[in-house]
Amino acid sequence: MTAADAAAERDARWATLMAAAQAGDARAYETLLREATPRIRVLCRARIRDAAEVEDAVQDTLLTLHRLRHTYDPSRPFGPWLATIAARRSVDRLRRRSRGAGRESPLDDLPESAAATQPEAEQRLAARDLREAVASLPESQRTALRLAKLEDLSLAEASARSGLSVGALKVATHRALHSLRRRFGVPEEKK
Amino acid sequence: MMRTDDLIRQLAADVQPVRRLPTPWRLAATWLLFALLVIGAAVIVAGLRHDIAQRIMLPEERVNLATALLTGIAAAIAAFQLALPDRSARWALLPVPFAAAWLSGLGWGCMRDMAEDGSLGLGTSFGCLRFIVGFGVPLTVAMCWMTRHASAIRPGPVAALGGLAAAAVCSVGLSLIHHLDAAAMILLWHGGSIVIVTLVAWAFGPRVMRVAAA
Repeated sequence: MTAADAAAERDARWATLMAAAQAGDARAYETLLREATPRIRVLCRARIRDAAEVEDAVQDTLLTLHRLRHTYDPSRPFGPWLATIAARRSVDRLRRRSRGAGRESPLDDLPESAAATQPEAEQRLAARDLREAVASLPESQRTALRLAKLEDLSLAEASARSGLSVGALKVATHRALHSLRRRFGVPEEKK
Repeated sequence: MMRTDDLIRQLAADVQPVRRLPTPWRLAATWLLFALLVIGAAVIVAGLRHDIAQRIMLPEERVNLATALLTGIAAAIAAFQLALPDRSARWALLPVPFAAAWLSGLGWGCMRDMAEDGSLGLGTSFGCLRFIVGFGVPLTVAMCWMTRHASAIRPGPVAALGGLAAAAVCSVGLSLIHHLDAAAMILLWHGGSIVIVTLVAWAFGPRVMRVAAA
């Protein structure tokens, strides 16, 4: 079997799995996502160098794929449909990164007192505690926090990317922040 | 960051049956029917121009109406095609030949008016702007709502094509109502209004899609 034949066979299999997923078959959908993820990773890696950014783009692609699954026509090849989504999410990642880079300033530019307020080891411990605290949150709250707070997306954008409603996102973000504040003993913000 | 494995598990657990989107041809036909009904109703309410029977017999008038209508139809088809992830970006070029034919027909008309009357007959016609923007913007919003799935893929070009489609259909309707014969006036006021609706759609359409998709 040639590489082209193998690719065509894989495409036909993914088209069938996607058609089953559109009908609500969770097992077919999970199989499809697991099989397609390495391909998505390759597509994202073609545009992004940084490994962590690639993984973020992969997850963004999966979320968009989930939200747009009703737009796929199983009579057409699955590959181009997937490739466009992966390309768009990779470009978005790069754009957001370049915008973020413009807002960041190197640590050396800060006054010495700012860097000296907390020893490096202590900062690392605090960062580790925060990472652990975020990891212990339920998945929906983690997703909401990542999209709405860490990536600074609008609620509409975060909702579009995650497939969660704006209301559900608001509740999940609020609960996530509430749990983190409680864990670190930070008083609630006054409205 | 959430692990990709966990995300896949979460998405699979969350999967519900979805209704497949109708084909872009069917969606385009639905929107065009809606747009023609709205503009048709406006034409009936406003009344056809009194000399429509003579105007419609003129070959250049027929060419202008046909090319403007074809521009609208082609832009609508292109918008619904482009809204899907697996369609080529070249769909965006579909309305170009019809728009070029419409513009060149009007350009030819300008030269003819200049040769016959010695002037282009330019003046103001804010009514044209009001009609095309007034009907074009709501029809564009309807298009953005129907193509809301494009908010994650190519929202700007899809919205711009929606604006072009809506404004071109409005321009055809207006030509049946409004007594405006000078080609330069049509080029300036109809063409200018179409450009405005298209640019407004490009700038604000993606926001409408995002809100509709939320």
